Amino acid sequence: MDEVAWTAAQCRHYAMCKIDYLDTGLCPSGPEKGYVAYYPQGRMDIYAALSQGLLPVTEALVDVANTCTLCGICDVQCHFVTGLRPVRVMEALKGAVAAHLGAGKEVIHPAEDELLDALRAIVGDEWASNDPAILITYAHDPYPFKETLLPRCVVMPGSTEEVAAVVKLAREHGIPYVVRGNGASVYGMVFSEGIVLDTNRMKAIEIDRDNWTATVGAGVTAFDLQQAAARHGLRVNAAEPAATVCGNVICTGLFSPWSAAYGTFADHFVDMEFVDQEGQVYCLSDPDAPNLYAYRHAVADVPGVCTRGMIRLHPTTEDEEGMLVPFASLEGAVRFARELSVRRIGLAIAVLGGHYLATFVSPSPEVAVRLKESLSQVLGIEYVVFVVADAYGRDAIRKMGVAVMDEDLVRTVILGLPRLLDDGWLDLIGGYSGEKLPYELLCQPELRPLVEAVLQPSPETLAGAVEADLRSFYRALYRRPRYTDIAWLNTCRIVSARMARHKHVFAFLVYVPLERTELIAGLNAEFARVGEALGVSHDYGFLTPMDLGKRAVLEYDYYIDHTDPIEKDKAAAIVAEVVPWLDELAGSVSGVTWIKTFFSQGCARKEGIFYRGFHGRSQG
Amino acid sequence: MKGVGKADHFFLTGGTGFLGSHIGAELLRRGHEVTFIARGDRHLSAAERIDRILRWQGASPDDRRRARVVVGELTAPGLGMEAEQRRTLQGTIDQIVHCASDTSFVERQREQVTAANIDGMRNLLDFAAGSGCQGLHHLSTAYVAGRRSGLCREELVRDPAFYNVYEETKCAGERLAWESCRAAGIRLTIYRPSIVYGHSRTGRTFRFNAFYYPARVAHMLKKLYETDIRDRGGVRAKEMGVRIERDGSLYLPVRIAVQDGGGLNLIPVDYFLAAFFAILEEGEGGIYHIVNERAKGIEELMGYIGAWFGLSGLRPCPSAAYERSSRNALEILVDEYLEAYGPYMRDTRAFDTARAGPILERRGIGCPELDYAVFSRCMAYAVRVDWRVNLDGQSPRSG
Repeated sequence: MDEVAWTAAQCRHYAMCKIDYLDTGLCPSGPEKGYVAYYPQGRMDIYAALSQGLLPVTEALVDVANTCTLCGICDVQCHFVTGLRPVRVMEALKGAVAAHLGAGKEVIHPAEDELLDALRAIVGDEWASNDPAILITYAHDPYPFKETLLPRCVVMPGSTEEVAAVVKLAREHGIPYVVRGNGASVYGMVFSEGIVLDTNRMKAIEIDRDNWTATVGAGVTAFDLQQAAARHGLRVNAAEPAATVCGNVICTGLFSPWSAAYGTFADHFVDMEFVDQEGQVYCLSDPDAPNLYAYRHAVADVPGVCTRGMIRLHPTTEDEEGMLVPFASLEGAVRFARELSVRRIGLAIAVLGGHYLATFVSPSPEVAVRLKESLSQVLGIEYVVFVVADAYGRDAIRKMGVAVMDEDLVRTVILGLPRLLDDGWLDLIGGYSGEKLPYELLCQPELRPLVEAVLQPSPETLAGAVEADLRSFYRALYRRPRYTDIAWLNTCRIVSARMARHKHVFAFLVYVPLERTELIAGLNAEFARVGEALGVSHDYGFLTPMDLGKRAVLEYDYYIDHTDPIEKDKAAAIVAEVVPWLDELAGSVSGVTWIKTFFSQGCARKEGIFYRGFHGRSQG
Repeated sequence: MKGVGKADHFFLTGGTGFLGSHIGAELLRRGHEVTFIARGDRHLSAAERIDRILRWQGASPDDRRRARVVVGELTAPGLGMEAEQRRTLQGTIDQIVHCASDTSFVERQREQVTAANIDGMRNLLDFAAGSGCQGLHHLSTAYVAGRRSGLCREELVRDPAFYNVYEETKCAGERLAWESCRAAGIRLTIYRPSIVYGHSRTGRTFRFNAFYYPARVAHMLKKLYETDIRDRGGVRAKEMGVRIERDGSLYLPVRIAVQDGGGLNLIPVDYFLAAFFAILEEGEGGIYHIVNERAKGIEELMGYIGAWFGLSGLRPCPSAAYERSSRNALEILVDEYLEAYGPYMRDTRAFDTARAGPILERRGIGCPELDYAVFSRCMAYAVRVDWRVNLDGQSPRSG
């Protein structure tokens, strides 16, 4: 496989090219045409299929190629999170199509289809398609256990009514369908041989300041909602930025470090609107609606097509800042995070491992690898507790006697990363053999002038770590304070997709009893053991305390090259080993629940997941 | 019990360490058979590590071929070796040289230091007791004396009190060895060097700790602030009161708190090695100090560092006055370092050499003075290799 085809096949489908998170604007054809095919992600898929001979040159494919202006936005957007450079793929796609047309070869017209006609009658001609070039971009994701499944049609309804009509149509014709939000689902859940409903047109956001809610259409992303809330000085708890808010609520419930303050699952919405399988519309605030608030301790079906969500808004204060509290052990970090949660200190809290921390702040994969190693082996940082707190909260944390990397120091470190990794400096820090840990020296406020002299933090220093032709972009980007503001970065979560820069991630999410530190350390060790035994790259993800320190969500990640069949087999072996173990734990340890059962139950009350009620008890 | 024979088979621990590798290479050079016990690391096997370090020591190809390596772990029961391999070794070795040690001073590493210096010793003594070895040569430290002041004798320390976990565990190790060897009928020789630095004539070393560390900090600060002044307008330098003087030296405002008298007891590795082998060959068992009769004053060392690196502004300050004043970031950094090494920098003790002295005297072995010429050779070597000798198999750094 040549390098361009390899790049195309590496697309992680995180849909980050569908949100304007670097203020570059979006790929121009995407918002206009709506289909994934017209975003860089879709063009990557199309080129990958075309280069393997799996896709003919169709009408839509020609249009997709021609509407790419080679503006370069995708190159910086994708590089920021994955390190990939898609422009070469775009050039190759345009070149291949031009060569095809130049040679006078045939352009395929999609087949006639009554279903398509019926769908177009509902949504309008331009919003339904069965062109293979459109369909291929809705046919697979990096999830290792799903084969490519081409749908018969893709439809983009623009309203609840249109969704209801599509559902009724599918029901009448006995055709299966699935709903796709922004395409950021990477669990193989959004494929169908029938109809894929893409909600990308349902992007309305309505802020009701007096009601403390934002009503969002099914196609609104977390990033877009967060931006809208910020314009009102407010915040929502939203998860991965490219994921749709409604999709995220339904699938896993929203959780993030902000769940420490804002909760999870049903805590996040005031109401949700669905189209049920009969095509009837209902909302959860209707007393006669299905009771999605009740949690079933079993694998559950999707409750219908979510068409709107009324999401809770939260106030902010101007003195909020992020900080990192380093620890040499997971147990120490977990105990500290719990302490904060129990004492109600901080808004966002998470225990991050070296991998997340290093990849989140590093501008390139090479820097991330070196930083992770240096954090652990030189500075003695194995874990950090990430906190966003107001001035009172930060004062309280300092009084707890821990070494703290405040916002300024974090900014200094981010902007001085290439110098932090200078061997001479690292050797020097590593050579210090006093009673303090090396990171405690780094955190000492009195040493800040020296740290700044060594790191020479500046956008220029940071930009020195990326390829020469990207440096001017990175310099300009990092001149903007928000890109080194860990509170903002976490609110918008624009760096979290970097965790899978080296390989696709597949994550295990487990709710755990937070006071059981030994259980959490044991879980972490067992996940790691399985990864080691099967030769799969793996790492601790994060843990966030919830419900005043009683519970926490833990993520552990395995990383695989989804294009490598051997790695897919290894992933299967991981699942075979981990699933029975987690099932057994969930059945025997109070407070343990994992994603297998809470998936699709995101509207449930968190109490149903965290604790056992009368009904849950009898079900066992 | 007999002394060391000309073709004795030595079992050596700590062969990848600074002193252990010098001893191992010299044993091979003198024609002994040597079995090293070592671990592999992330990059190299145990045998590769030993081979690489013997090359650095200048061991001949013939000597390197004769070096045997067994993979083992001192902190594991049975030294982590296969039973049969262990039994074979126990049946063939004549002498054991125990150099492996964890030299960390810090309390938070107590578990690890204890495992290496006490559990490791215990496992080795079990191994020795089950072997036919005649002598055990244990590399200890002059600082088992702990907080003792005045004259420290070449005998087991009574009523000990310590500055740190290193001293404590090394002292406990001596006592364990003493009791176990007596019971097993093995002649025990304990060597107690003070602080060992590079070669006095070549400056060669691969450990850049002890007095190298402050010198290295000084070197880094010099480069850092000179670049800042030259290329970036000197904003950071100005913040710290750093400037370039008319004579071209860099003015670094760093005071170091000093007390009257005392200093560092430093010996070069060539002297250590000569003394070790003299005692190995002529000693009668028991404890021997390998030390410098004169401690090096911290003021004098600071003067050397300033002169060699072209730094001005480094100056000693009486402790009382220093405590009353506010400190800048550079001074805080230095103080953090001194906190761990402080007791050794203001050492006023005398280490008795009643037992080692006559042996060394007979052989004409004296401790070279760490004068400016020797210091310069050490610094020249350190700077030439950029404070790092690559023995761990990682690719050499760029730039």
